[in-house]
Amino acid sequence: MNCRECVEHLYEFLDRELTPELEQEIRAHLEDCPPCEEQYDFEELFLKFLRARCRTQGAPAELKKRVLRELFGE
Amino acid sequence: MAKSPPVPPPSSPVPLDEKRASFEREALVHLDVLYRVALRLTGNPADADDLVQETMLKAYRAWDQYEKGTNAKAWMLTILRHAFINEYRRRTRHPETVDVDSIEPYAVFPEVQDEDPQGAFFDRIVDDEVLRAIDQLPEVFRETLVLSDVEGMSYQEIAGILEVPVGTVKSRLFRARQLLQGKLYDYAVEMGYIKGTPA
Repeated sequence: MNCRECVEHLYEFLDRELTPELEQEIRAHLEDCPPCEEQYDFEELFLKFLRARCRTQGAPAELKKRVLRELFGE
Repeated sequence: MAKSPPVPPPSSPVPLDEKRASFEREALVHLDVLYRVALRLTGNPADADDLVQETMLKAYRAWDQYEKGTNAKAWMLTILRHAFINEYRRRTRHPETVDVDSIEPYAVFPEVQDEDPQGAFFDRIVDDEVLRAIDQLPEVFRETLVLSDVEGMSYQEIAGILEVPVGTVKSRLFRARQLLQGKLYDYAVEMGYIKGTPA
């Protein structure tokens, strides 16, 4: 596995969407390649950041009441 | 005299209490997810409320068809997306006229590799700014990214909801993330959170 292939599969690797064989190849490459490992850390941080920033919002309490009222008449 | 058709066996409808209990347990618990996705699709809270309300009603009516214990979240998101396409998109956002395949995002990491390889500049970007950047993505990228990166769904689940092949999910997600990173990076440079590479 070279750096280009590794970077190409980085997101699938982070998303745990690769076959075990390919996952193992990426893992091995990352251990031996500091620049790719750095990029891996960066992308991982980005995805965590995204999730943390976007999940704070939930449905308004009023909407929940409205749904319950509509469905069950309460 | 004509023979009367055979009388169907008495159907055994699910008792209302039971239906309600299973709906609350499996469907209503996803209200927050539906709302967040609806908000990103419609772009405004009033339409998001209506879309979620309608999705819940449709889901409740069709609840007997849902195979209990499978994947209520994906099932309901599919209903939500159909409702959005059929009724809301027309009057809220317009479908893209740009060819999304021609969009070639660039990778941000090489730009920040020397100055901020740990991506510390992300931490300075507030929630609203991130949501605003997501809202600016083309719809096909936005919906894929929200389902994956906000709601944590698998490629297979997303493919099912969006009715596209898994390979399409993969490539849209790749480009959506790069495009979003690019927008956030540009914003961070503009705000002075990071020096960036001079153009």
